[in-house]
Amino acid sequence: MAEPRSLRWPIGLLFLASCSGQFGDLPGNDEDGEATAPLCTAIEPGESPLRRMTRVEYDNTISDLLGDDSRPARGFVPEEESLGFNNQAAALVVSPLLAEQYMAAAEGIAARAAGKLLGEAPACREAAGGEACRGEVAALVASFGKRAFRRPLAEDEIADFVALFRRGIALGDAPDDASTGLALLLQAMLQSPHFLYRVELGMPDPVEGDVAPLTSYEVASRLSYLLWGTMPDEALFAAAEQGALGTAAEIEAQARRMLEDPRAREAVKGFHRQWLGLAKIDEIAAGGKDPELYPEYRDELLPLFQAETEAFLDHAIFEQDASVSALFTAPYSMMNRELAEFYGVEGGPKGDAFERVELDPSQRAGFVTQAGLLSLYAKPNRSSPVHRGRFVRQSLLCQIPPPPPDVVPEPPMVDPTKTTREQFSQHVSDPGCRSCHTLLDPIGFGFEHYDALGRWRDAENGIPVDASGELTQTDIDGPFDGAVELAHRLAQSEQVRACVVKQWFRFGYGRAEQSADTCSLAQATQAFEASGYNIRALLVALTQTDAFRYRRLINAGGNAGGNAGGNAGGNAGGNAGGTPAGAAEGEP
Amino acid sequence: MKPFQLSRRAALRGLGGAALALPFLEVMGCSKRLAPASEQTGRAALGAEFPKRFVVIYTPNGTVPPDFWPSSTQLQNGEELSPILAPLKDHNEDLLVLGNVSALSALVGPGDAHQKGTGQCLTARAMQEGDFPGDAGLSCGWADGISVDQEIANHIGTRTKFLSLELGVLVYGAAVGARIAYRGPAQPLPPENSPYTAFDRLFSDLSITPEAATTKSEQRRAVLDKVAADYKRLQRRLGAADQEKLAGHLASVEDIASRLDRGVAPTSAACAAPVLTPDIDPDKVASMPELTRLQLDLMAMALACDLTRVASLQFTNSATTKVLSFLGPDITEGHHPMAHNGYADPANRQRLMKISRFYAEQVAYLIAKLKSMPEGNGSVFDNTVIFWTNEHADGNHLRQNIPYVLAGNAGGHFKTGRFVSQTKQVGHNNLLVSLLQAMGVDTESFGDPKYCTGPLTGLTS
Repeated sequence: MAEPRSLRWPIGLLFLASCSGQFGDLPGNDEDGEATAPLCTAIEPGESPLRRMTRVEYDNTISDLLGDDSRPARGFVPEEESLGFNNQAAALVVSPLLAEQYMAAAEGIAARAAGKLLGEAPACREAAGGEACRGEVAALVASFGKRAFRRPLAEDEIADFVALFRRGIALGDAPDDASTGLALLLQAMLQSPHFLYRVELGMPDPVEGDVAPLTSYEVASRLSYLLWGTMPDEALFAAAEQGALGTAAEIEAQARRMLEDPRAREAVKGFHRQWLGLAKIDEIAAGGKDPELYPEYRDELLPLFQAETEAFLDHAIFEQDASVSALFTAPYSMMNRELAEFYGVEGGPKGDAFERVELDPSQRAGFVTQAGLLSLYAKPNRSSPVHRGRFVRQSLLCQIPPPPPDVVPEPPMVDPTKTTREQFSQHVSDPGCRSCHTLLDPIGFGFEHYDALGRWRDAENGIPVDASGELTQTDIDGPFDGAVELAHRLAQSEQVRACVVKQWFRFGYGRAEQSADTCSLAQATQAFEASGYNIRALLVALTQTDAFRYRRLINAGGNAGGNAGGNAGGNAGGNAGGTPAGAAEGEP
Repeated sequence: MKPFQLSRRAALRGLGGAALALPFLEVMGCSKRLAPASEQTGRAALGAEFPKRFVVIYTPNGTVPPDFWPSSTQLQNGEELSPILAPLKDHNEDLLVLGNVSALSALVGPGDAHQKGTGQCLTARAMQEGDFPGDAGLSCGWADGISVDQEIANHIGTRTKFLSLELGVLVYGAAVGARIAYRGPAQPLPPENSPYTAFDRLFSDLSITPEAATTKSEQRRAVLDKVAADYKRLQRRLGAADQEKLAGHLASVEDIASRLDRGVAPTSAACAAPVLTPDIDPDKVASMPELTRLQLDLMAMALACDLTRVASLQFTNSATTKVLSFLGPDITEGHHPMAHNGYADPANRQRLMKISRFYAEQVAYLIAKLKSMPEGNGSVFDNTVIFWTNEHADGNHLRQNIPYVLAGNAGGHFKTGRFVSQTKQVGHNNLLVSLLQAMGVDTESFGDPKYCTGPLTGLTS
């Protein structure tokens, strides 16, 4: 099962490197396009920061763990955002308020679950202080704890929880109150770092330098949270117990199985909500749209807008097995009756369910021309070429426009007799604005056929729309006319494909890519390319990289990246069932 | 301090946002037993001081400078106040308007003008590098130090049930523009946007019988002890960055555990669960006036009940695009873009002034509320200072001469009723030092010492 460790340097990453003179970019690339291909002879996992559950992951996990669908995390403090995502390990912090919310949620969940748990410890009903009860509670801690912590517990861990149970039975309303003991035990588990975080220590023995494979249990959790946004299922736990998540092929087989599950569709939805800003569509309600200019606007449209793009991406990726290019060029969308009426689609769906609707391919292409994103990247009273252009640059091309001056000069007054384009041309006449706006506006002008609600228009203020635009500093440079042509151009861009990989990397691994990740990105990109840029293939590829399967051992001094040592003493449970997978695979 | 507790039955009426028709103490049938703490403890009789309190009000997008500054250095009858500050007329003599104080630390470092203006308004040092998206690209991280409210809380908030109280009105997300308070570098404290959730947090644990409360505290202590032990044990096995992350979590757990026995210790006879109008949507811009009232009512009550001595209220995110159309039909554009359009256009100037006036009205409401709460021979307001800060001076990111207003003399520390301009422009670090000193913190510097030369001059005499 030797894997090729030497990979061709994907062309998409080269393009990225070539424009780093202007834009914030992948660290560690050479400035010229002649960069030599990295050899990737050594395993390089990059960083493996401790990851905390997001609110969605918490609620999903509680539901799978206890059948409790109350979704208490909806009331938690929102995650700190970084790189546009809410699951970035470095950004997430726990304030006293959040710690209180964890406590209150754990108390509520435990109150609802304690009765059921008591059913599994019948001896405790008779005599909570007795030996029989103690044995049953120990067994319960071991079996429930393994699912809650997503790994077997060590003997001393079990003993500590049993001790808490015994302390708890004395603190209940009645003497020897077993249900209070169980409730406290559960509360403590649900506030434990082993529940709230994904603790990963890796296998005790490195396979190369200080690099060790993750344990099978750790891989199981990485898979389940990446592809499902929740804890591992029975099959993953069984595979972990058998040590059957050690090889790339075993992991791939699980990933493919998991992608067939509806939970994968939810997780992919979660990615798009954040990457494209779909979750922000309902924030349009804060500003609304100018009722005089857009009397058709109502807040109730916003969830439909969001649902359209989510349903489109879901249909394309999971029903059509779409490639990146199809997401940009598909001449159809998903609508229900109400939305079809908004768009003015004739003969569209008759009910509330979203159905596939074929569209005029000269007016619409893929997600970039859908009403939600066009409304989001617009003003209450007009389109916004700046925001639309920035969306393309920043989210789709992964380029960071240079900063405007720190103190912004007052823009010229708006003239309602002119088109939006003409007004923005005035803005760019100021040399202080021009440096930034020439990178944004010429792309954004391509969307001028869509008003602030994303509806097609041939004219604005009585003047025919000019939607010509220009791409610069990309691998698809040149003039274009309208967003449909732009979308087709983006569909063929290596830079866009590399950006999709990068965005999935950030979301999937909970961190920014760094120079140490060059080979992991190359591994994923190569598989992506081989599949014809198929999105599901990319998801599988994300489970095959060095970054996904390995970590650096933590040394006794508390530094990841040093030599092994700190790990040797502990983790009796964490490593149980894990086989030294990487060692079995053989490195060149 | 005796914990202040309510019966379960009474509590049920007070929870879930349902309005309490009667004052708290009366409903509980314990108005005599829990008369003001001053009487109970004899603090007033002994001449001991009441606790000092510190309140921050943050508003975004600058003000309209020509309509903001008073016309005279002495604020005597309210006529000196500008159109924007006019709503504070009744409290003229309690104000200190501060001129020539600039956010110098917000002119340097990573981030765009809004990120810097907001992240450093209470920390007074350059931001960390990071990857929050902003107009300066993905360059800005969290603030790089403790905020002044938290520094004050470390000194005066150690004995109350809550170290501090962070409230928000329509603050969304969790990026740098949505945070003003920091426990330390890159440790932002999120504000609570929902008055109903804030009510439950502040008052619900106090709404059970004393026996039940004791039991609950003991149970929580047992759990939190175990949880804290797990964090400590795991910490030792992790790398430095992860250790630090868990240390922050552990500190929060230990903070909760250390306050389990704390309860209400009213210093004012006004201590009573505030009456919450039910069913106000905390996400609707149109609800903003009502939401603000509820949040300020809760804040005032938390102070009067001595649940906390440090509180902040953040109005919206930095650079908010929310359209404050409840202020009039002429407001059809988001606050941020409108602010950028400046005040050369009289109509836009009028609109921006309306927004700033709205914020002044809210400050006035809080002042009046605190004044209505008796404490000793005066009111809760007598021992409080309210610090009204803005991310910028105007809508185009000016960070010189920020429109800072203090209200309240903090137990006689400040000499109010004046518009005090510093003779030479100084960093707002100096202002934060003045506030620390007003709260009894013995220091001569705060934030980046490069911008700090000690307290502001002329505030105390």
